[in-house]
Amino acid sequence: MSAEGLGPLESAEVSIKLFVDDHAVVRPHELIAVFHRWISEGLLEDELTIDVANYEHVPQGPGIALICDKSHYYFDVRHNRWGLRYRGRREARATGKDAVTDALTRALKAAALLENDPALEGRYTFRTDQVELVIYDRLRAPSEEATLEAIRVDVEAAIAELYGEAPRSLGLVSVPKEPFAVAIENASSPSLGELLGRLAPAG
Amino acid sequence: MEAVGSWQDKLKDRIPEELGREIDIFETQMKLRRRGEVDERLFAETRLRRGVYGQRYDNGHRHDGTQNRELAYRDHPTKGPETVWDAPGMLRIKIPYGKLTADQTDVLAELSEDYADHISHVTTRQDIQLHFVHIDDTPDIQRRLAAVGITTREACGNSVRNITACHLSGVCKTEEFDVTPYAEALKEFLLGHPDVQDFGRKMKPAFSGCAHEACGLVNMHDVGYIAKTREVDGQVQRGFEFYVGGGLGAIPHDAKVLTEFVTEEELLPLTQAVCRVFARLGEKENRGRARIKFLVAKLGIEEFKKLVFEEREQLPHDPRWTAYIDELPDYDEKPLRPPVPLQVNGEHTPEFKAWYETNVRAQRQEGYAVATIKLPLGDATGDQMRAIADIAREFVGDAIRLTVEQNIVLRWVSEADLPALFEALAAVDLAAPGAETIADLTSCPGTDTCKLGIAASRGLVAELTNHVGHLNGGTDPALKGLRIKASGCFNSCGQHHVSDLGFYGISRKKGGRLVPHFQVVLGGKWMENGGSFGLPTLAIPSKNIPEVVKRVTDRFLQERNENETFHEFIDRWGKVEVKAFLQDLTEVPAFEEDPSFYSDWGDPRVFTMEDYGEGECAGEIVPLVEFGLQSSEREVFEAQLYLDAGDMDRAKAMAYKAMLTAAQALVKTEYLDVTDDPDHIVTEFRTRFHETKRFHDKFAGAKFANYLFQTHESGGNGGRPEQARDQVQEAQLFIEAAYKVYERIGTQGAPA
Repeated sequence: MSAEGLGPLESAEVSIKLFVDDHAVVRPHELIAVFHRWISEGLLEDELTIDVANYEHVPQGPGIALICDKSHYYFDVRHNRWGLRYRGRREARATGKDAVTDALTRALKAAALLENDPALEGRYTFRTDQVELVIYDRLRAPSEEATLEAIRVDVEAAIAELYGEAPRSLGLVSVPKEPFAVAIENASSPSLGELLGRLAPAG
Repeated sequence: MEAVGSWQDKLKDRIPEELGREIDIFETQMKLRRRGEVDERLFAETRLRRGVYGQRYDNGHRHDGTQNRELAYRDHPTKGPETVWDAPGMLRIKIPYGKLTADQTDVLAELSEDYADHISHVTTRQDIQLHFVHIDDTPDIQRRLAAVGITTREACGNSVRNITACHLSGVCKTEEFDVTPYAEALKEFLLGHPDVQDFGRKMKPAFSGCAHEACGLVNMHDVGYIAKTREVDGQVQRGFEFYVGGGLGAIPHDAKVLTEFVTEEELLPLTQAVCRVFARLGEKENRGRARIKFLVAKLGIEEFKKLVFEEREQLPHDPRWTAYIDELPDYDEKPLRPPVPLQVNGEHTPEFKAWYETNVRAQRQEGYAVATIKLPLGDATGDQMRAIADIAREFVGDAIRLTVEQNIVLRWVSEADLPALFEALAAVDLAAPGAETIADLTSCPGTDTCKLGIAASRGLVAELTNHVGHLNGGTDPALKGLRIKASGCFNSCGQHHVSDLGFYGISRKKGGRLVPHFQVVLGGKWMENGGSFGLPTLAIPSKNIPEVVKRVTDRFLQERNENETFHEFIDRWGKVEVKAFLQDLTEVPAFEEDPSFYSDWGDPRVFTMEDYGEGECAGEIVPLVEFGLQSSEREVFEAQLYLDAGDMDRAKAMAYKAMLTAAQALVKTEYLDVTDDPDHIVTEFRTRFHETKRFHDKFAGAKFANYLFQTHESGGNGGRPEQARDQVQEAQLFIEAAYKVYERIGTQGAPA
């Protein structure tokens, strides 16, 4: 579909990845059953969950994917770092700062589900001081500093709202041919529960 | 940042006009379908012919192991029978003879990341498949592919599929000559050719440079060509042994020789004649018997031959038949770097040596080698594809090819570069050894994504890789060259029939519950172009298949005669003995005793067949005339858009074109060779439908036919601009009349 005159955060393809604390605990194969259970029990709110794809055989790949109607969730190992990635697909759910908040919220919720999943016995925990933002949309978000500058204010505002302070740094970490990727370094590393608590509607 | 437009705008100068036009047309067809103005069956075949495929669960239902659950997609028109619009699908990208450039590889990487699940999947027919793609994204994907010279046209559906060829063509030591330019010529000739639009099923062609190696797999193709030379008047003449009617599927058929030598000049017309006979006489109602192999079997090869050569005599001359021959001397794949021999010394690491032993093959051009990148299950990430493009640019330029064993090769590697190439590949996890050995297993997508999959072939192959992967070419040389291949069902996309140890998914019941099984097929011949098919033995529960592999390979090592191949060993061993040997593995424990037998590899859900769907491989049987009439409707729709935009001249021109297209579609029901020339179309239409009064309306008489004649006589664009609206309406009425005539043909049979 065409994308007349829209900016990077108008894209549907905004992604947030949260990294696991300890790579040694990761056994990707066990997540296949976990994601299947999420589908059958409808654990991801506001998502139409469809299928699980297993790419554990691919080095530094998408790992285990949970395919939804308007998004994908991956437990991926790109660049040898395991983590939970939320990735929007088609039809932006929000724009600008809200797009970052929406992606971050969905990633946090999925990561919290993993942290609390009984089958995983509390082995999976996530750090929140480092967050990766990727926009898989080369038309609206080419991998270049100009794209970073175009989204900087919105990203900083979204982080500040959630963490209570602006990120310590935002840095472009992708080369021109790669999807646009930004490393977000935060000054603190609140727990997932704490961050999700801040997102809870007032009252 | 500059405001962005669309891929259509961004790439408009890089997309060949014809390809761009085709994609625009497809996008319009999508719009029409969304408005409910195109029949779902017709739209399904239309999208299939653009490579836009369905995928598992796209009927809006999925079984989660305990119950069938509805997937509550938004309510849109379907994109085919029982196929929900929003359900993710697969896009098949034809890569003719597997040849890729570095730029094309980069784009494939991008597409897998931007629209799919970050994976490019190499198929057993040298295609690339992207999974979990939304149909709305497919026009842009096609544009980005077109900008680097790739089309998905006729990648699926009842058409001529990807033309495959040996990945070593041009560099192989055993080939007669390089078949690449011939495969290219045939691809160009057949793509969109009117004679390949009316098949009852698909047609898969393949080229091979020699008879004894495997890579072309001619024996299992609908049409196949093995390079051959002969001497005529002291001159070496190139040609092909021409095969027809091979195929796998539930019942594999060996290809038959159509002619022992077809010359370069006759290659294209004789193939065209085969296509015409297949289109005319091939089965159209029963999909299960609609491949050309059934027609050949029904008629017998001698009768089929006779019909083909008679058809050949009737073909109107086409200058393209021989035009490509003049260009043959220009075809040459040039190395990027000079040939320098590899210095074999003690400095190489064990990892390099293991890789070199199995993944490197010397070319016939001294000082050069082909390096194989072994892809697990045919999968590569976007990052890996990008790395392959960069590595290719550094070492070999654009000399990249996909293989039918789901790997990627880099050709024209200067041998001295091999250690550096190995290091570069290892840095992106692409230097696994064991290519083209027992450790290099093949699988179709199976139940992972295919609607027809019965069992998890990819799950099985991933598990078997854990068992045999360590062999890395075999501690025993007798095992090294064995092939293991698995298919999710009997349709054989994993090519299990031509492997040493083949498996295809089936199901069996135990205690009222379904249990995933694989049928074990042993002793197929991979060499000699997939020279013979394996022996189906017995059905074994999925969870016991690793034990089958262990037992059978152990037995082979223990009891084989000197120099006896696996194929010969199985032949000697015999079906009865093999069955007795494996019989105990057919046992399935009760669910309460071991529930793992009731789930498939890599899928913890309790096994079910309730997800089994209606396959789209077969495409929809849509007569050629319906495509023509559909095109005319799309054109009149576009004429309306021009009208709305105030572009009267283009509106009139498009309305005229719509009438011509509809008239041509009707003419083709009885005269396939009508050209695109407006005079020719109108003359034939006048003779066949107007003068016979078959186009006459019960009440309006010749009124609608006259719309066409008057517009044609005015040169298609006559009259005042304000007449454009009338002309568009006339075109609409003409098309409706054409549909009525077609309906009458359908009920009364084709006119004589």
